[in-house]
Amino acid sequence: MKRVLKNLAIVMGLSALGSLGMAHAQAFKPSKPIEVVVHTGPGGGNDVFIRAVLATIKKDNLTQDNFVVVNKSGGGSANAMNYLREKAGDSHTIGVYASVFVSDLLVQEAAPLGLDKVTPIAGLVSEPAMLVVKADSPYKTMADVINAARANPGKLKQSGGSVLSRDAVVRHVLMSHTKTDWSFISFPSGGERVSALLGGHVDFMIIEPSEAGEMIRAGKLRPLVQIADRKVEGFPNVPLLREAGFAVPNVPQSRGLIGPPDMPPAAVAYYTDLFKRASQAPAYKAYLSSKQLDNEYLPPAELRKFLDGYQNELRVILKGAGVKVVR
Amino acid sequence: MNGFEGLLTGFSVALQWQNLFWCVVGCFLGTVIGILPGLGPAATIAILLPLTTAMDPTGGIIMLAGIYYGARYGGSTTSILLNMPGEASSVVSCIEGYQMAKKGRAGPALAIAAIASFIAGTIGIVILTFLSPVLADVALSFSSPEFFALMVLGLSLVVLLAGNSMLKAALATLVGMWLTSIGTDLFSAESRFTFGLSDLLGGLDFIVIAVGVYAVAEIMSGIERGDDTKLLPLPKGLRAYLPSWDEIKACRFAFLNGSVVGFFIGTLPGASSSISSFVSYGIEKAVSKRPEMFGHGAPEGLAAPEGANNADSSGAFLPMLTLGIPSGGATAMLLAALITWGYKPGPLFIVDSPELFWGLIASMYIGNVVLFMMNLPLVPLFAQILRVPIALLFPSVLGICVVGAYAVSGSLFDVATLVGFGMLGYLMFKLDFPTAPLVLGFVLGDPLERAVRQSLTMSQGDPSILVSRPICAVILGIAALILISPLLRRKPKPPIPT
Repeated sequence: MKRVLKNLAIVMGLSALGSLGMAHAQAFKPSKPIEVVVHTGPGGGNDVFIRAVLATIKKDNLTQDNFVVVNKSGGGSANAMNYLREKAGDSHTIGVYASVFVSDLLVQEAAPLGLDKVTPIAGLVSEPAMLVVKADSPYKTMADVINAARANPGKLKQSGGSVLSRDAVVRHVLMSHTKTDWSFISFPSGGERVSALLGGHVDFMIIEPSEAGEMIRAGKLRPLVQIADRKVEGFPNVPLLREAGFAVPNVPQSRGLIGPPDMPPAAVAYYTDLFKRASQAPAYKAYLSSKQLDNEYLPPAELRKFLDGYQNELRVILKGAGVKVVR
Repeated sequence: MNGFEGLLTGFSVALQWQNLFWCVVGCFLGTVIGILPGLGPAATIAILLPLTTAMDPTGGIIMLAGIYYGARYGGSTTSILLNMPGEASSVVSCIEGYQMAKKGRAGPALAIAAIASFIAGTIGIVILTFLSPVLADVALSFSSPEFFALMVLGLSLVVLLAGNSMLKAALATLVGMWLTSIGTDLFSAESRFTFGLSDLLGGLDFIVIAVGVYAVAEIMSGIERGDDTKLLPLPKGLRAYLPSWDEIKACRFAFLNGSVVGFFIGTLPGASSSISSFVSYGIEKAVSKRPEMFGHGAPEGLAAPEGANNADSSGAFLPMLTLGIPSGGATAMLLAALITWGYKPGPLFIVDSPELFWGLIASMYIGNVVLFMMNLPLVPLFAQILRVPIALLFPSVLGICVVGAYAVSGSLFDVATLVGFGMLGYLMFKLDFPTAPLVLGFVLGDPLERAVRQSLTMSQGDPSILVSRPICAVILGIAALILISPLLRRKPKPPIPT
């Protein structure tokens, strides 16, 4: 009987998904504050992002709900995933994912929750990046960098995050495409990465335009190439990787929302609808463009496809890079 | 606009009554959260961020900044009175502060902490005002090999923190360094010593360990002693709340040491405030004419780290305001707040928004005066905590410790960690192991390992990079001097009985 009910609920949920925006008899309405789980501490990328997003959807008058950001930092995404696992079936908990959720699962043996168990809610943004050098660097183009790397294998230095971060993955993709090799120096915080570049201790780094924009404007950094599908606003003269002659797949940094395992479909539909409306709302759109984020709303089914596809691509890339992949 | 003109503009902004009001509010909130372990400035600013978006940006950033540096004042209170560090930056203040309180000098200890915080905080802001452009370049020339040297300097302090046995101190340091390696390795993304527990993937939290080893262990040994009804002697008469002239005089160098060391380490992104307080404490002891007093309530050993953690917060504003680079979670939140208001923090921030920039700097001068005036009269009041009978005090403090540990990331695992480290601290006390080296090892182990691996990647495996750069050579030279300093001294006098 229970299973029948559950199946019935799923069917109803699917139909709810199909009739987004229409009044629905079993519509879900939050009855208490909604916890928003973030995998970084206060001030981390996803934390700042979601706090700003929640403020803008209030400004856009899209909701009266109360959202409480819960920081579950540690182990990359592990502690946040652990929390989602504990909240299985809950309608008042959502989580903010970043690409690192996908890569963590590939290497953490103790990872608490597989990607296939979480409930996709909505993809929100994809963040472009740029490869930058210090203003007085001899490298003027991406080709200069690659040629230098070819001439001095292993000698050039890139500062970046963990071996799983997007900048590390882009490095592997570029190195295997151009048959070159350079070193990658991990720093835990973005501040240390860019300090290492500004101090002349490394040759280049891959950085988000929102983080580098002011330093480029002040003439301290020079962008060589954009790592994105289309050009970032304000940088018309900086070529995309493929325009610079490097036809490599784009490595996305995407952020969005997932729910705990077995989240009731009516609740999923509620949040999906809210953020679908947000993607069209003025304050939300203004915030994204001020942070140079691409507004890439994805409904649950497409988000599921994206996450699975990205995991498969990443597995191949990481294995190729010699990282120990466990699943 | 030079520093003087800028400051004049700044004061005309910061002295407007509404900005003054928000400065006082920020300082007050900072003091309160500084006292509570677990709830740090970064989390507090994050909670208040949505409320401040509707505020005037100048008043808003002045308040949020006040929370950040105000927390450094409050943190020492519980370190001194209860051996319970309220913030990571005030762990070192437990060492001498609590010993002073044990000797009935709780009032003077609190006052010295406030005075040191004020002096070093203010000197830090003066340096920030006038030397920012120069020091920004100095800070950038500091990279992984220099970090390595700084961490070695930090570790060399173990010989000064050791109690009766160097062997036991070395052992405790190594255990601390091992504990900090638990978690996910940044370089390979592999899990280390996690024993299949997903709770350990993020590693152990510093403040939980410090509160366990200091406060919980102190309560356990207090219960064992059993006979006291009062924890510590309470000062009698108003004079007993004020430091004596001799105590102030002993701290003269410590004020300067804390200011300079704290400010400089504060400017380095990735160096935590506990590093600046440890290093300034060690330097204070190394140059002291009476090192035997350290560990038995030397006021200069409290003034140095308390000053350092305040100058550290001034230093942290340097990369944030001149380059837009955050040095930690709290400054990242401040940058996020500026961006939400539509400002563009970065190298051109001072040119684009001089009023906000200088208004904020000026507000920090005011904030330090406010904090000083707020904290000094509170000294007799806070000291009344010692009046509370043990039967009430111990359960309440334990309760605060548990809530604080839980508040770090809202997980019961941290509470279990707290209990575990409380027992470890008690055991170390019984076996006469010093706890400071354990905490020091925990603070320095991770940045030391990182710096070595980063340096060796930079040099493609050539270890000479660690010693050949000029700044490294100087710092390592100082470390070597500290290491041999016990040998250079005459035989130490027997410790002053407590």
